[in-house]
Amino acid sequence: MKIDVADAHLHPRTNPLAEAYDEFIALFANVLFAVSLFAVWGLLTIIGVIVDQGKDPGFYWQNYTPPLARLVLRLDLNNIYHSAGYVGIIGLILLSLAVCTFKRVIPARLPPLRAVKIDKIPLNASVAVRGEEEAVRGRVNAFFTERGWQVRSREIGGSEWTFADKHNWARRGVLVAHVGFVIIAAGTSLYWAKGFSGTTAVISGQSVVIPETKARITLDRFGYRIDPVQTKSGTVYQPIDYVSDVTYTGADDVAHKAILRVNHPLDIDGTEYYQASYGYAIDFSLTHNGTPVATSPRGPLKEGDGFPIGTSNRSIQYAQFIGTVDRRTGQAAADPRPNDPAVVIDAFEGDREVGRALIPLGGSIDIGGGYRLAASRYTLYSGFQYRYDPGIPLVGIGAFVLLAGLCISFYLLPARLYVQITGANRNWNVGIAATTVKGYTIYEEQFAALVEALRRSEDGPRGSRTAAPAFGTA
Amino acid sequence: MDPGKQALDQVLLVTGISAYVTGTLVLIGYFLSRSKLLKQIGIPLAAIGCLAQFAELGARWNMTGVWPLTNLYGSLSLFSAFGVLIFMIFAIKYDLWFIGFGVLGIAAISLGYATTWNEGYMPAVPALQSYWIKVHVPLVIAAYASFMVAFVVSLIYLLKASFEKRLGGSAIRGSAAGAGANIGVSMSAAYAAPPANVGAIKSDTPRIDAAAARGDFWGLWLAGLPSLGKLDILTYRIVAVGLPLLTVGIITGAWWAKEAWGAYWQWDPKETAALTSWIIYAAYMHLHTRSTWRGSRTAWVSVIGFISIVFCYLGVNIFISGLHSYKM
Ligand code: HEM
Repeated sequence: MKIDVADAHLHPRTNPLAEAYDEFIALFANVLFAVSLFAVWGLLTIIGVIVDQGKDPGFYWQNYTPPLARLVLRLDLNNIYHSAGYVGIIGLILLSLAVCTFKRVIPARLPPLRAVKIDKIPLNASVAVRGEEEAVRGRVNAFFTERGWQVRSREIGGSEWTFADKHNWARRGVLVAHVGFVIIAAGTSLYWAKGFSGTTAVISGQSVVIPETKARITLDRFGYRIDPVQTKSGTVYQPIDYVSDVTYTGADDVAHKAILRVNHPLDIDGTEYYQASYGYAIDFSLTHNGTPVATSPRGPLKEGDGFPIGTSNRSIQYAQFIGTVDRRTGQAAADPRPNDPAVVIDAFEGDREVGRALIPLGGSIDIGGGYRLAASRYTLYSGFQYRYDPGIPLVGIGAFVLLAGLCISFYLLPARLYVQITGANRNWNVGIAATTVKGYTIYEEQFAALVEALRRSEDGPRGSRTAAPAFGTA
Repeated sequence: MDPGKQALDQVLLVTGISAYVTGTLVLIGYFLSRSKLLKQIGIPLAAIGCLAQFAELGARWNMTGVWPLTNLYGSLSLFSAFGVLIFMIFAIKYDLWFIGFGVLGIAAISLGYATTWNEGYMPAVPALQSYWIKVHVPLVIAAYASFMVAFVVSLIYLLKASFEKRLGGSAIRGSAAGAGANIGVSMSAAYAAPPANVGAIKSDTPRIDAAAARGDFWGLWLAGLPSLGKLDILTYRIVAVGLPLLTVGIITGAWWAKEAWGAYWQWDPKETAALTSWIIYAAYMHLHTRSTWRGSRTAWVSVIGFISIVFCYLGVNIFISGLHSYKM
């Protein structure tokens, strides 16, 4: 394999810039450098599996030892896939891939037709053949052609060489795989450049307008099914289906009815909407000595929403909906369906949590200072995710191109035979050597069988050639 | 649930495990003794275990009406079944029966472990009710199974290479590595040296061959294994089945994720662990293009790759919570 840079070392360049360029090319065209980049990419990826991603800094301080938490936050390991390091390594891989493809893969994969020392190539053989030179050459060439080899003859250094190639075109498989990878990378970048995504939640009977698309979605009804299932370790409550009946208005300003279900997204003007979650919105009312308080919530609250208690620095947050309260323990029962519902609320003083309480739906509790909090009915709400990703077609095409490249590279073995016929009068010796892009061992048996077939076709009576085994891929 | 069908399910499960356990023992015997008889007993045991497993998964599907691969029990069962199936395909083509004890052993362990996750018959959560699961899961599991078979061949490679080293040689790496001298009782005629007159590829374990020529037990035993070059190529061929399968598995998973969660890639721990494994095997393929890396080093990469697969498959499901951790 010839690399320009090797020549450059033989004739050192005097221009330091040109020298630096040569060194850059040498480094980036090196497969081992590429594999080192792969190793760093793999390492960063696995760190993201082990370190929780996208949590608040407080989470890390709470759950990790302080030095580890500091490390995670300093190095952006909490958001590793969008960190400069991660994006940078993929950039380096693409750069290396481009340099390597042009400097190594393309030039090396289509080797020139040149003379070789046949007996220096580990896969070599010689077959004795008798007959007129022209007839022998014709028979040998026909032997390879019949078996699907592309045969070319050249006169090199005064002697005639025959080159037989199999699956020569498959030498481009690597190129195809690399191009596929680049297309995927381009598709993903397109989302970063032009796409958007978000989440929204709509309470039954209400509407939302998606800020990026201006589409209006009204949740007419949300329904779900959860079934109790008997398993070996007891009853499990298994979700079976979530469905949102919606009315939406997109760019055409016409109201359309649609159903949104898990695994069945809804496309509104190119942006896709997904059934992502659901929950129970609760009507709370806060009173002070029996009279409603101004800070009492106006509409139903979703899990995580809160409100202040009058003018104090205390506040209430709706933490969790409990479908069925176990009356004996006063805790949540296993059945998540709203048979005997209650809500869990957290009380805060400033940012500090000071208490947690359970309010049965339809009931109320005293929260101190003359305040009383009541939780009345629940209304189901539906959570949607939406996403506009113009890169998807490119990622899809890239994936198929990559796959095609993998299959071409792995399953079609380009092999080249170097054939030289030497001798005199009617006694000739056919010297054959074989090379492949994946070393010699991979071709050993086929080469042996090929040589054996040639020998048999020459030994046997003319015309018995068809009895020889056919040869195909590796 | 129909008790008759449940009984059939149990019988098939027990048949699968018993066939693998006995098959493992018989093929260990074959590995050690090279007795043809043991090989001939081991092959049908592997086939029976594999068939029983596919029948069990089918019976379960028929009985519950629910695709059986929505939990760890189903997927581990399929992993064993695919592992044995892929092994048998390669064994028939390349006479790979000598690694059968390893593959059947892993299949028996994973099927045994699968039964600890057998919670009975449960319908799938909504996100799993998709036709994509019928494509994505089998592809990914088939990829895992291929890597498992490649892992076993790599271990045998490393075993032979380490003996060669211990005997004072350094196993020849690279493209010149080829067929071992055909000394001792060969595992198979397919690994016999090429016929005379075809330029001989030098033996890559001269020390082992010398030991075998002296009549040394281990030498004879190891010389009968395929050459290091052959073992390396076998690993390559099996990884070359696993990597495209994993690639299609990840692509179909991404497609499904796009339908179920709105984004084809969410950096979920399972996705990222699969990506890590994919990167390791892509590195394997690249290293294998270098003649100086072919051999022990790439065998180690294959071993590391399979460790990463086990982490991706079981570690993430069991220890890390995410969108994929459907533990039931
Ligand atoms: C840093 C980026 C990369 C570089 C520098 C690189 C370089 C190379 C080179 C030089 C070869 C051919 C070696 C030879 O035959 O002598 C090769 C082969 C190959 N590359 Fe890459 N590559 C990169 C990334 C990728 C990626 C991301 C993929 C996607 C899977 C890929 C897929 C392949 C395949 C399938 C082969 C053929 C392997 C075989 O035939 O066994 N490459 N690569």
